[in-house]
Amino acid sequence: MEKEQLKQQLKQQIVQFLNLTSVKPEDIKDDEPLFGEGLGLDSIDSIELIVLLSREYGITIQDPKEGRKILVDINTMADYIAEHKTK
Amino acid sequence: MYIHHHTCISPQQTFEHADVETLHESADNKLKAKEPVYKGIPPGILRRMGKAVRMGIGAALPVIKQQSLIDGIIIGTANGGMEDCIKFLNQIIDYEEGMLTPGNFVQSTPNAIAAQMGLLNKNKGYNITHVHRGLAFENALLDAMMMIKENPGNNYLLGAVDEISAYNYNIDLLDGCFKKEIIVNKNLYDTVSAGTIAGEGAAMFVVNDNAENAVATIKAIQTIHTKDEMEVSRVLQQFIQQTLPDNEKVDMLLTGENGDARLLKYYTEVESLFDEYTTIARFKHMCGEYPTASSVALWLVCNRHQWPAHMIKKQCKNSTVRNIIIYNNYRGLQHAFMHIVKYKC
Repeated sequence: MEKEQLKQQLKQQIVQFLNLTSVKPEDIKDDEPLFGEGLGLDSIDSIELIVLLSREYGITIQDPKEGRKILVDINTMADYIAEHKTK
Repeated sequence: MYIHHHTCISPQQTFEHADVETLHESADNKLKAKEPVYKGIPPGILRRMGKAVRMGIGAALPVIKQQSLIDGIIIGTANGGMEDCIKFLNQIIDYEEGMLTPGNFVQSTPNAIAAQMGLLNKNKGYNITHVHRGLAFENALLDAMMMIKENPGNNYLLGAVDEISAYNYNIDLLDGCFKKEIIVNKNLYDTVSAGTIAGEGAAMFVVNDNAENAVATIKAIQTIHTKDEMEVSRVLQQFIQQTLPDNEKVDMLLTGENGDARLLKYYTEVESLFDEYTTIARFKHMCGEYPTASSVALWLVCNRHQWPAHMIKKQCKNSTVRNIIIYNNYRGLQHAFMHIVKYKC
């Protein structure tokens, strides 16, 4: 899958998994921070995102430090998925 | 116990600019709540809430705003966020007990409603949820009465919430609780078949021991478990003798008659205790049947000065409605009586 296509799919999945009813996938910028300012996600959302990676891409994040580097924005998530996905 | 503030989210226009004269119709034997635009719930929290939690918080926030000092939160709900609960259980199966998302689980427990109210309002007081099926609200009410007796001067948020979940509706339909043929709620009492229609809603009240400016007082409550209509009649007779002053009469009997032909014997027996002085009214065609539906009856008593024609089964000539008996019956087993004295008539 092309990286751009992967990013679009990821945005749709984030909106769906996190029930972001007031956000459209196309509104999420690739370099917009997911947590704090930007999309404004919180700690419960981080667990939802880890489950998303596991269910949809077969990726298991075991090290919290690793998670902090991956769950930064759409670019970092897509890069990690492209490299590590097992399904 | 005195009621001061009250709100209700129901299938009718009961929340903000209440208009219960207009009867909104059921669809597919379900009366679904008319949810308002929820003000005051942060979007990040609102998006995680299931319907029951949303309705509960949405109904509670306006009354908490009116009565800023709340000493405790007492909620009755038979099922809580059942829809989220089933989503969570399905996840366990779908993902073979692997990684599960916390959102559905957090929202699915019955006490999530009272807990969210406590969190949103930074209320660290008494916080409890009663889950006694068709008597969940009545037990919450009894708890509030006892808390007020133990702690004079305290204010409590008392409420009830239940939602229609696909799972519960299907199970209850198979169990014969809901009608097999499709009807509309305006014809609910004309049907002669078994079963009723499903409903949902949330009603909230601020209660305390201060009579000043109260809307109504709950003088007494009694609950019984029985399938014997004569037992129901006998207990109600005793209840009225004990709670009603000698020189007063029951002005209105508000019943939970729900169109289920199998339960009509209870209502017929109860109604036979009252003479032509007492108006008889019904409310389940407005909210449908659910375990905590009697909370809607209590809200109607607090809210109404004029009773819409569609509620009246037998109109009497008395002009003031002061002493009201609410009789509700859940599935022919759980019965509850409330004696309400209404003020500001």
